[in-house]
Amino acid sequence: MALAENIQAEFKSVEHADAVGQVRQQAFDAFSKLGIPSVRHEEWKYTNVKTKLPETLSVLNSSAPTVPSYNSVTEFNAVKLVFVNGVFTPSLSQYSEQQGITITSLKQAFTTHNQLVEKHYGKLVYFNEEHFAALNTAFATDGAFIHISKNTTAELPVLIVHLFTNGAENFNQTRTLVIAEQGSEIHLIEDFRNLASSAYYNHVSEIYVGANASVNITKLQTETANTTGIHTLEADLARDAKFTCTDISFDGALIRNNVNARLKGENAEAHLYGLYYGVGNSVLDNHILIDHIVPNCQSNQLYKGVLDDEATGVFNGKIFVKQDAQKTNAFQSSKAILLSNEASINSKPQLEIFADDVKCSHGAAIGQLGKNEVFYLRARGITEHDAKAMLTYAFANDIIEKVGNPQIKEHLSTVLRNRLGLAE
Amino acid sequence: MLSIKNLNVSINGKPILKDFNLEIGAGEVHAIMGPNGTGKSTLAATLAGREDYEVTSGEVIYKGKNLLEMSPDERAREGVFLAFQYPVEIPGVSVTNFMKAAVNAKRKHYGLEPMDAKEFLKTMREKMALVEINKEFMSRSLNEGFSGGEKKRNEIFQMAMLEPSLCLLDETDSGLDIDALRIVSNGVNKLRDKDRSFVVITHYQRLLNYIVPDHVHVMYGGKIVKSGGKELALVLEEKGYDWIKEEVGETV
Repeated sequence: MALAENIQAEFKSVEHADAVGQVRQQAFDAFSKLGIPSVRHEEWKYTNVKTKLPETLSVLNSSAPTVPSYNSVTEFNAVKLVFVNGVFTPSLSQYSEQQGITITSLKQAFTTHNQLVEKHYGKLVYFNEEHFAALNTAFATDGAFIHISKNTTAELPVLIVHLFTNGAENFNQTRTLVIAEQGSEIHLIEDFRNLASSAYYNHVSEIYVGANASVNITKLQTETANTTGIHTLEADLARDAKFTCTDISFDGALIRNNVNARLKGENAEAHLYGLYYGVGNSVLDNHILIDHIVPNCQSNQLYKGVLDDEATGVFNGKIFVKQDAQKTNAFQSSKAILLSNEASINSKPQLEIFADDVKCSHGAAIGQLGKNEVFYLRARGITEHDAKAMLTYAFANDIIEKVGNPQIKEHLSTVLRNRLGLAE
Repeated sequence: MLSIKNLNVSINGKPILKDFNLEIGAGEVHAIMGPNGTGKSTLAATLAGREDYEVTSGEVIYKGKNLLEMSPDERAREGVFLAFQYPVEIPGVSVTNFMKAAVNAKRKHYGLEPMDAKEFLKTMREKMALVEINKEFMSRSLNEGFSGGEKKRNEIFQMAMLEPSLCLLDETDSGLDIDALRIVSNGVNKLRDKDRSFVVITHYQRLLNYIVPDHVHVMYGGKIVKSGGKELALVLEEKGYDWIKEEVGETV
């Protein structure tokens, strides 16, 4: 059976009676109209996703996966939620109770926190427009649920790890819901890892950033070789809210990052950072959107790409400034370096501004490592390989410096050094 | 130390150095002077191994080895050092990390282990003192936002760290005020050694008041047209280059 038919047939076996049954049905109806996008769709014209999803994939969560062993990013003090093929796995997870904070699986929350779930789940995704967000909403039955009460600061970062072991059998539908109430603060890390020869997943994060709340999230796709991973992150910012997302993609048959931040309350600020470093045949696609809906908000997009071998990068950065959003301050910068003649990058800034009193700037640069810089380093005895590695490291490390968590920052520096063959 | 014979160098097919000859012994300081566009910087860049400079004929023997066959980084590891006229700004690479990579590349070349962290820092401090650089320099990005004087002092600092055998100073005096000139020159003078040779490229005699050369050469039209002792620089300062041009004009 083809994937489209699988999806139709398998929906019958998805849970319908829980707190999100109705949303699931709506999302499924929406997906049935949308289907899997082809390159004719404007948002997918650089990335042929159909060729990256085998027709035989099943979208149902596989049941009771065996618990794999894996090397955690780094040992640090964190609340850890581990999922194997989308299914919450308590034996690998690690808790720490804190008053005012609920961290649990979505499956659990569908029952224990059904009112919060009903109010928030599926409400940020645009499933009438977004194919994969619709598919995910129809099929996701588990995931991470995080609720931070008013004026509470999470003492520990929350590390959400997704492990995939089922190869080309499943198109795993993974999900995160974060509700940060007024004045709260939390730091999150989502780490996606392929432990098999290949992996396929479709992830959705919905993040509510309440008034004067702060959410900082780092997404890691550094252990995702031979993986098709599609991400849709929707962040909703209330007044004075602050949202920071740092998206790191180092590998993947196809990694698609949709990061959408909607500024809905005055004085909110959003910072979207990204580093994508493709080798081999990787396709690393970043579609980001900042939607300025109300006045006096700030946003900042800074994405950097390094493309080697035959890798392809995509940067599509949208800034929407709605008519009411006067005094908006929006900044966008996209830079990419190509390390090989076969590598390519498609860069498309897209600014749609309907207010007249705004400050918006954007810049896009694509190039190679500077000849003069390489020569200067070589003139001091540093080999050509090391000179290029040092310059690439400096270029990329600029984004790693934005990562909020020091251990993750250190870890990423090491991963980057290893990839570049650069000694400490 | 260095023997250059009938060296011809072109840039984009245009000949710049024409049958250039120069012999430099160990421990000697040679000043190369001359008007703009005569090939002084081309000489320095060619010796350092810059790619855009095409050697069409001639030979350069450095410590008994064919210098022209070596890559730029190999030349540096073998002890050739070019102090750049325009040092390149490299954001994101700190002076410390850069220096560590350079020092250890050279050590590896000679089969030595990387310098241990303590010794490295100690050496850094010593050499920074030589050109009056303060220690916050260490964590700054290489040349980024440095003033003209800081960039040149940084070049001499690197030279001190790498202990080269052949130092090529390409207009190190340009853009320096009198204090910076004194500091840079003092740094260079402290590095003078019986086993270390210098080629000091400059327009002006001023620098040579501080770094006193053993030999002064005048370049014109891609070759050396006049050589003498340090007193030649004083003549040039007084009379300019026009008389040289006239002299050369008569013989060409």
